[in-house]
Amino acid sequence: MSGESVGIQEQTEGRYVDLRRIDLLESIQDEDQTWAKLAPRWCVTNPEPPWKVCLDATCDCLSAGGALDNLERRHAEDELETVYSAIPNPERQLLTLAHIMVSRGLLTEEELARQISAVRARLEAV
Amino acid sequence: MADKHKDGDHHHSGDHGHDHAAAPMVDEISDFEILELAVRELAIEKGLFTAEDHRAFSEWNDARSPAAGSRMVARAWTDPAYKARVFDDPLNASKEVGVDWSEPSGFGTTSDYMHLTVLEDTPTLHHVIVCTLCSCYPRPILGHSPYWYRAPNYRRRIVRWPREVLAEFGLIVPPEVELRVEDSNAKSRFMVLPVRPEGTEGWTEDQLAEIVTRDTMIGIAMPKPGRTTDGPRPIHRASRPVHSGGRPTEAPK
Repeated sequence: MSGESVGIQEQTEGRYVDLRRIDLLESIQDEDQTWAKLAPRWCVTNPEPPWKVCLDATCDCLSAGGALDNLERRHAEDELETVYSAIPNPERQLLTLAHIMVSRGLLTEEELARQISAVRARLEAV
Repeated sequence: MADKHKDGDHHHSGDHGHDHAAAPMVDEISDFEILELAVRELAIEKGLFTAEDHRAFSEWNDARSPAAGSRMVARAWTDPAYKARVFDDPLNASKEVGVDWSEPSGFGTTSDYMHLTVLEDTPTLHHVIVCTLCSCYPRPILGHSPYWYRAPNYRRRIVRWPREVLAEFGLIVPPEVELRVEDSNAKSRFMVLPVRPEGTEGWTEDQLAEIVTRDTMIGIAMPKPGRTTDGPRPIHRASRPVHSGGRPTEAPK
């Protein structure tokens, strides 16, 4: 293990967000499911996934409602860059948003896991 | 033989077989798509915002693109009176190309303050914009910022080594041209009005707008005939990431 990675892993307290890894989000880092891999697999040329607009809207809504200021979110995103460096954007932006919301108590890991299961069941229903 | 008819702009053949291929779609549900929906639904369930709020902001986000900025530059190149308004009253000049900075809330968004300054390039002066603090960007007029613009690497380095960073983007600024890096602050947004290139004499506003790409309005590229899209830009990961408000991570001993 390199000295640099030790230094990054040892740092758990950012100024804007708790940098400790979240098991649930660690399990959602399959690079094969990122838009950069999905889009060419299906011959789609749109540079961004359809959900990117919704993600931006969620960030704007959280800021407008006072739950998570956009500037603070950006600072926290910067701090989390090394935690999610293996995943490209916009997936990284999504993971960091979820991380920040869990870290700040806006939602819990359990609630998020439950909702993910519910959404998955709904979307995959035949 | 197919009996073609027209529904609006959509052509069908008589046997209901389309005479053009449908745009391909991703027919696969990814973990990330599910996560986005789960986060959003939980936030609504918890009352952090409403579904109506989200719909309004989604529509606003979906409508953003650099096209309005391109139109603004092209019109400024061809209409001196409009060009004067671009500098004197850029928000009203934005309205003339269809962008109202007060949308979607009546007072903009929380990260798009209603203050825009347009920076005019000349043959001896070139501007480039950045936000060293986070990623402030004139979203209403240029759409969403590219990822490299948000990356700490660009934000940190463009203010220290602007000519070198621009060269990495493929833009060589001659030493005799003054270079100004404009750093967005909490409530100011900037865009660059580049120099109209040679070889575009007699062009229409539409033709000119095509060569005014996003990157030319950020200042990392120059418009030129034939260049109508921004190529993919490399994102250089910092070897020693800088954390907000903190010191650089210690380099390995």
